Amino acid sequence: MTGFDEREPEAAELVRPYVITKGRGLPDEEQLSLITLVTAASDDQQRPTRLSPEEQSLLELCTAGYLSVAEIAGHTRLPMGVVKILLSALTEGGYLITRPPVQRARLADRQILEEVLNGLRTKFG
Amino acid sequence: MTRYIQNPVLWALLVAVLGAVVVIVRQRRAARALRREIEELKTHYSELETSYSKSVEAEKERAQDATKTVLKSAMRTLQGLAAEQQLIISGLQNKYGESVILQDLLEIDHTNSQFGRRAQSIAVLCDGWLGRQREVASVYDVVRSAQGRIRHYRRVEILSQVDFGITSRAVEPVALALAELLDNATSYSSPDTVVEINIRTVPKGVCIVVDDAGVGMNDEERAKAAKLLSSERVTGVSGLGSPPQFGFAVIGVLCERYGFEVSVDSDSPYGGVRSVLLLPHDLLTGMPDKKAPAPSVPAAPARDPHGPEPALTASSTGDGLPRRRRKRPMAIVPGTASGTTSTSTRSGAETAAIMGAFQRGTQSGRATGADTADQTSSTRDASSEGHEVS
Repeated sequence: MTGFDEREPEAAELVRPYVITKGRGLPDEEQLSLITLVTAASDDQQRPTRLSPEEQSLLELCTAGYLSVAEIAGHTRLPMGVVKILLSALTEGGYLITRPPVQRARLADRQILEEVLNGLRTKFG
Repeated sequence: MTRYIQNPVLWALLVAVLGAVVVIVRQRRAARALRREIEELKTHYSELETSYSKSVEAEKERAQDATKTVLKSAMRTLQGLAAEQQLIISGLQNKYGESVILQDLLEIDHTNSQFGRRAQSIAVLCDGWLGRQREVASVYDVVRSAQGRIRHYRRVEILSQVDFGITSRAVEPVALALAELLDNATSYSSPDTVVEINIRTVPKGVCIVVDDAGVGMNDEERAKAAKLLSSERVTGVSGLGSPPQFGFAVIGVLCERYGFEVSVDSDSPYGGVRSVLLLPHDLLTGMPDKKAPAPSVPAAPARDPHGPEPALTASSTGDGLPRRRRKRPMAIVPGTASGTTSTSTRSGAETAAIMGAFQRGTQSGRATGADTADQTSSTRDASSEGHEVS
């Protein structure tokens, strides 16, 4: 992340982030948190040319598989919130699928596990 | 006769006649002198008049130059401050990108951009500094930059793109001129209408067409605009009216100085004004290298899925600047990406076998070691997460 600060210190970005987001507001935290997983809706490249370069690069990034919002933001040079706004817009447009973060597995019943363990022991010795 | 001679009346008459003659002659001479004086005065007066108007003209020019100089340096300060503030805001946006403050930061950024643009416009009219030189940028990005400098940027829609870049020298002037066009377009059309931008390639270069759905211009306004856009406009900031209308004057100066063309003499299909900014070929270049490292990421594993070193793969892909490549914070990504691609090529059975082996390993580990409840639960979590991911 510190890499971004090394750019020419006197030149701000030509295209400002609020133009990239087209003035849209931040999505809800429930809708898109840092660990929400995101992937492209379909692999085929039938993307409309109306998407901005930033949106297209986000889509490209997401085609490889599920990535968390935090990871995606790390790969762009945009502020986290801006990435969130773009991702939620892309999701609304049907280009992306979001999945709530993986739940922590509940502690399984110890008894069942022991039974499984015993079963495995008897089978594999 | 002698009777007459002796008559004093005759003498008196004579004296009177002589006196009269003398008086008349004198008067005549005086009149002539006066007339000459008047003539002289007249020429003198006209001389004075011309020299006066000349000096007034010169003084006016000097005053205008002085105003220009003062404004120029004042604007230079303001522009510098606006640019500085923009940098600070950028820093804040990156720093607080995750918080709700971002929304407000974006608003501040927008206001700051408008403020910077105003200062820039006045500077342009005073033959001043335009701002720092930018890197080569795509036409699309320059248009978006212009879009960000006006108040109602949300109403602007860019409908098409071209694969051209704008030379670094022309990036800022084109963005500024286009911003003035967009400002006019959005100010003179109703707030619920959209201003459309089409970018087209034409034989002479690239056209940026701005259509608004406003009320359009009448002939007088059109003539005035054409005059401001042409080289016969008045220079300087005086005569722009109050509130001052910078737009066309600024565009005129920029067109002349940087060699692009702007015309506003046609109607848009929506009834408003269609303004066209024509970029000639010598202001155009190829598309700039993509700045964002993101787009090249999926390409890296695709080209060389078993790249031994992620860094090596990254430097060999694309044609981006090595400087950017080096500081990319995501050299890990090609590695992980190639990892996922290799797992995805495994068949289901292979995956199952691997997972089974893993399970067996943990089993045997637990069997030999003292299996406390904590250890088992943590392994359980780890393995269940592993299942979820694969």
